[in-house]
Amino acid sequence: MAPAPTTKSNKAPMRTGKSGPSKSIGGSKAGPKASSAGVKKSKKPQGRVSGEQVKSKSADSRKDANKKKQKVYTAKELGIPELNGIRPEGVSKPPNMKKGKNFVDDNEGMNAIMAMVMAEKEGNIESKMQKARHLEQLREAKKAEAEKRAQSKKATFEDRKKGIKESERKKRSDGDSSAVESRKSMKNGYFAGFGDDAPPKDAKKSKKRVSFG
Amino acid sequence: MRQLTDTETKTLFEKLANYTGRSLNNLLTDTAPSPGAKSQPERYVFRVQKDRVYYVRESLANLATSVARESLLSLGTCIGKFTKTGKFRMHITALDIIAPHARYKVWVKANGEMPFLYGGHVVKAHVGRWSEDCPEHQGVIVLSMNDTPLGFGVTARSTAEGRRLDPTGIVVFRQADCGEYLREEDTLFTT
Repeated sequence: MAPAPTTKSNKAPMRTGKSGPSKSIGGSKAGPKASSAGVKKSKKPQGRVSGEQVKSKSADSRKDANKKKQKVYTAKELGIPELNGIRPEGVSKPPNMKKGKNFVDDNEGMNAIMAMVMAEKEGNIESKMQKARHLEQLREAKKAEAEKRAQSKKATFEDRKKGIKESERKKRSDGDSSAVESRKSMKNGYFAGFGDDAPPKDAKKSKKRVSFG
Repeated sequence: MRQLTDTETKTLFEKLANYTGRSLNNLLTDTAPSPGAKSQPERYVFRVQKDRVYYVRESLANLATSVARESLLSLGTCIGKFTKTGKFRMHITALDIIAPHARYKVWVKANGEMPFLYGGHVVKAHVGRWSEDCPEHQGVIVLSMNDTPLGFGVTARSTAEGRRLDPTGIVVFRQADCGEYLREEDTLFTT
């Protein structure tokens, strides 16, 4: 029966922590009985403490694991209809978009921008030139038309003048002088008011006289 | 000092393209080496310091990174500055860069040089020659009759309309002239 406690005492330091062996050494000095009792005393509280600690640690870790494992369902998985799914264009940004300024320092980027700008500018200049040419053509056409109109007017005027002169010549050649005279008198009457300071003869004759007699 | 962003680059190039033709690409490509200095051609870049844009040799720009932003006053050739509304305003200092690549040119007679250098617009009576087929509101480089660039401006009329203009009519609106080096001496290089 004696070896049984010794085996227990041997196991005790293994179970207990650092404080265990020191007490067992003290107990060994007093005797085998005392040593066994001391081991038991020391064993009980220390064993309990270690058990609680282990239990509490394991419980915490289990809780954490449960928390971690808890699955988060997305609205899509649950079949919930999306609310206000429309994103305005100005607001929506791709999630992996670069923040801050976009610097252009490489030659390719610069050349690309330059080519774009140049094409735009050349197009602008070309359209401006076309517009200017078109306007110039219109202006020239208008000018040509105005000149043509003025020339035709002049030509008709000359024709008319010529016609009148010819008709006068014809009448003279026919010997009808009375017609010429009548034309002259008509001319005088017509131009009476224009610029002539001297009154015509007919006007003198028609002057009214008053007599008091 | 930093590189230009894509929008800034676009704005800058749009402004430069007003005055230059396709040969503006040469500004971006490697420039020819200066005689005697180095055998390798050096790359030139655009850099922004505060609101001003500089055209700088790349090696110089790299060296300038060791200077604090507050302490760095100027480097390379100043091309112009960005306004607070985001537009770009070219300075007379850019003349040397854009003049060799000019698309349209106006040559001013000797009697028109001084009025232009004093800040006046170019009138028809002072024009010696001008590029054909130039539309209105187009950037032009103003040169003296011996091909010395004097400044730059914007055409008031197209060449076709300009021919019908009376001698006192304005042909080119001045944007910048070399007289600014004296007139704007105290503000031209301040940041």
